[in-house]
Amino acid sequence: MHFFSQAFDYEHPWSHVVIGMWHKYPNSKCTHVVSVDVLDRSVDPKTGIIRTERVLGCKQKAPLWIVKLFGGSEDAFVREISFVDPASQNTTITSVNLSLSQFATCFEQIRYSPISPHRTSFSQTAEIQARMALWRSAADSLEKWLVQRFEQNAQLGKLGFTDVLRTLWEERHRVPAS
Amino acid sequence: MANSLSAECTPLKEKYDTCFNAWFEGYLEPAVAASSSERAAYSKQKADEFEAKCGKVWQQYRECIQRAVKEKGLDKLLQQAREENPLKEPPPPPVVQTFKKTS
Repeated sequence: MHFFSQAFDYEHPWSHVVIGMWHKYPNSKCTHVVSVDVLDRSVDPKTGIIRTERVLGCKQKAPLWIVKLFGGSEDAFVREISFVDPASQNTTITSVNLSLSQFATCFEQIRYSPISPHRTSFSQTAEIQARMALWRSAADSLEKWLVQRFEQNAQLGKLGFTDVLRTLWEERHRVPAS
Repeated sequence: MANSLSAECTPLKEKYDTCFNAWFEGYLEPAVAASSSERAAYSKQKADEFEAKCGKVWQQYRECIQRAVKEKGLDKLLQQAREENPLKEPPPPPVVQTFKKTS
């Protein structure tokens, strides 16, 4: 598992940052995000918390070995869930990759909260984890296959050498007899 | 405004985003200022208003995007992601803050 984290402040009130959040893309500095779609949104009639589920489409060239090994493509999609809680003035955004998710997951969490009427803190953490269960089962099948091949070859080796020994010594015994 | 993943849905998405942003910008500051006794009434009123203002375009956009998600083969991946992380509640505050509160 690998971790990433960073934190800094924006010189804007929390409400401005949260309003701005919906205007982040398209962005000339983040051209890898090419589409944003809302899949679900609810406004809790008691707490006023807004929950939004979005899917972001990204275009990013993956290293060739990743494309070859995992069959990735330039299009990658991310599921993002955000909560805007006006009572606690917390906004959290959780994102997980949909593409290549059978091999590895990138779990990102972002939080915006006010530190003064004019400043908002931003914190971001990400956990990147290969799906070890998958590697383990693949490694296990590979080992089973290798041991079977080894057994077969060992069996053939025994039969083959038995033949060689028989032929060799039968001939040698025949020679002095003649 | 960012495009939809399906060009066909982009016009509906733009209408929906415009509707949501207008509603949200009016919603947020009074929601922050609301006292705990006012919160439920304000939230209910604004939730109803959002439905009344944006509900129709949302239905149209949602139909379009759900179809597009299926066509791209994302529906199964989404289903799996939702099962693994339903995320129905806001995540708890970071561990550091929890420590401070409990100690």
